[in-house]
Amino acid sequence: MTTHLELSNLAVSFNGFKAVDGLNLKVAKGELRCLIGPNGAGKTTALDLICGKTKPTSGSIRYRGQELAQMEEHLIARSGVGRKFQVPSVFKQLTVRENLEVAYCKRTGVFANLIRIGRTPESDGLEKLADFVGLVDFLDHPASYLSHGQTQWLEIALLLAQDSELILLDEPTAGMTSQETQKTADICNRLKGRHTIIVVEHDMGFVKEIGDVISVMHQGSMLAEGRADEVSANQKVREVYLGKVGIGHA
Amino acid sequence: MSNAFTTFLNNRTAVQITVYAIVCGAIFLFPLVLDNDFLLNRYARYLVLGMAAMALSLSWGYAGILNLGQALSFGIGSYCMAMALKLRTVPVHTGEGGLPDFMVWNNVETLPWFWQPFHSMPFALLAGIVVPVFLAVILGWFMFRGRVTGVYVAIITLATLVVGNLLIIDQQRFTGGFNGITDLAQLELFGIEFDAYSKSTYYLVAVCMTVCLFLALAVTKSKAGMILQAVRDHEDRVRFFGYDVAWYKVLAFSVSAGIAGVAGMLYTVVMEFASPTFLGVPLSLSIVIWCAVGGRQSLLGALLGAILVAGMEGTLSESETFLDTWTLIMGAAFVLVVLFLPNGLAGLFEMLRRRLAAQPAEKPTEGATDAAVLADKGAAERS
Repeated sequence: MTTHLELSNLAVSFNGFKAVDGLNLKVAKGELRCLIGPNGAGKTTALDLICGKTKPTSGSIRYRGQELAQMEEHLIARSGVGRKFQVPSVFKQLTVRENLEVAYCKRTGVFANLIRIGRTPESDGLEKLADFVGLVDFLDHPASYLSHGQTQWLEIALLLAQDSELILLDEPTAGMTSQETQKTADICNRLKGRHTIIVVEHDMGFVKEIGDVISVMHQGSMLAEGRADEVSANQKVREVYLGKVGIGHA
Repeated sequence: MSNAFTTFLNNRTAVQITVYAIVCGAIFLFPLVLDNDFLLNRYARYLVLGMAAMALSLSWGYAGILNLGQALSFGIGSYCMAMALKLRTVPVHTGEGGLPDFMVWNNVETLPWFWQPFHSMPFALLAGIVVPVFLAVILGWFMFRGRVTGVYVAIITLATLVVGNLLIIDQQRFTGGFNGITDLAQLELFGIEFDAYSKSTYYLVAVCMTVCLFLALAVTKSKAGMILQAVRDHEDRVRFFGYDVAWYKVLAFSVSAGIAGVAGMLYTVVMEFASPTFLGVPLSLSIVIWCAVGGRQSLLGALLGAILVAGMEGTLSESETFLDTWTLIMGAAFVLVVLFLPNGLAGLFEMLRRRLAAQPAEKPTEGATDAAVLADKGAAERS
């Protein structure tokens, strides 16, 4: 498999605090990679660096052979990187339908979008998407009326509408019921192969359900990498993250 | 209530276009009811101010750019028109090849270069739109590329306005200074004379206002308009969809400036002079207040807010009973609106539409919350 995304020696420091320090990570095309680690390990910061929210102090981020490290966020997004944030961030005053239309961003130019009024053929596709995440009844309601779980679903739908090649998911199942978590896992498994996905997650059941390879971060760099059983057998991982209980019972 | 009516109420865009059309129609029919040229001039003035507020709603309400310098675009439009109309009086007042009267008083000997092109009316009309738009693009580009947001945008635009105002006052030899540009000729377009105190001027204002209103509505209904609203809600998130947020904000900022420029030109026609107060801080802040009272997230709301507040100010300040207290009454009205109607008067209308649209499903109980009403509506849609 070809390498899709490669982080090498990536580092960022906030006022001297090294949130990410010498991070190396290779993700192949179509792979679903889970990123775990204790609080403060730098998982979210790593995603921030990839999508351009934070600029690295040193190191490189190569995506499809292109250097992303100093690119502006919207250009990184246009080159095919989509992101779901930890705190659900949808457009609260827009309706669900409008949220989806904004996320459907095949054309990003100002003037191209100025002359587009009303329904377009893709609107129907967006309705199917809303149906898929169970929000079809809420299409014309403002997103502020949705519950927390529904907001999570809307954000996942936004990612699907955006249809990025590389998808970064930051704790997609936070605040979800076990059924909803299962559904999210199903979606992840469906996307696998067509999209490259990096998931940051705490829910180990979910991680085992979806992840092929798990990367464990600790103090800003990579501690271990491997399949779930390999990682849970790793002595270092047990020490910093899992305690004595082990991954199987977490 | 019939089913068709409920479907109609549920379609926000359809309701919007209908209401906009009805209001514009009423504005056109108004002179049939009111046959008083003095009052028509006054209402034309309110309509022009309404245009300025509507333009602000486009940038503030839809894109979240609080432009405290809206009067700069307005004033520039106004001076462009005044310069052109002033030059038309030159052959009459100071003879062929002469100068505007205030330049003669200030010992200016030749017409400055930037006055020359205003001999041409089409140039002046174009300049009244293009100059504010151009300035807005430059200022907007610097601000929004540099990711200046929120209160800093307000401070920068306000400061720019003050600079413009001081420049006009300071360059008395070329601008008439404090006195502004007075004693103008009447605007003549397509063979029609636009006397400020006549139906023709009122209709000119009404036509321009309608065109600008529907143009702005089209912008808000386009996908770009939707993206602007997304920017207002969550600017950073929009970037991660690949949109260059800065250019979208520049778009809203400059279209708003262009409409304000048109309003400024009309203001000169209606008032028959241009004055530095047209790009003064008090007017600029008033525009913000009108917008807030009417509902900044509604173009029509902002427009009607301006007409209502400016109209009330006019009426109260002239009535003997309120001669001393009218500012207090206006102040109290603002406080009440801000406290109880965060979305202005337009918010009240939107609430009414939602309630009416929800009614046939099940009669919502008295005092039902909006959420409950919405739930009812959802049930109606599913069944």
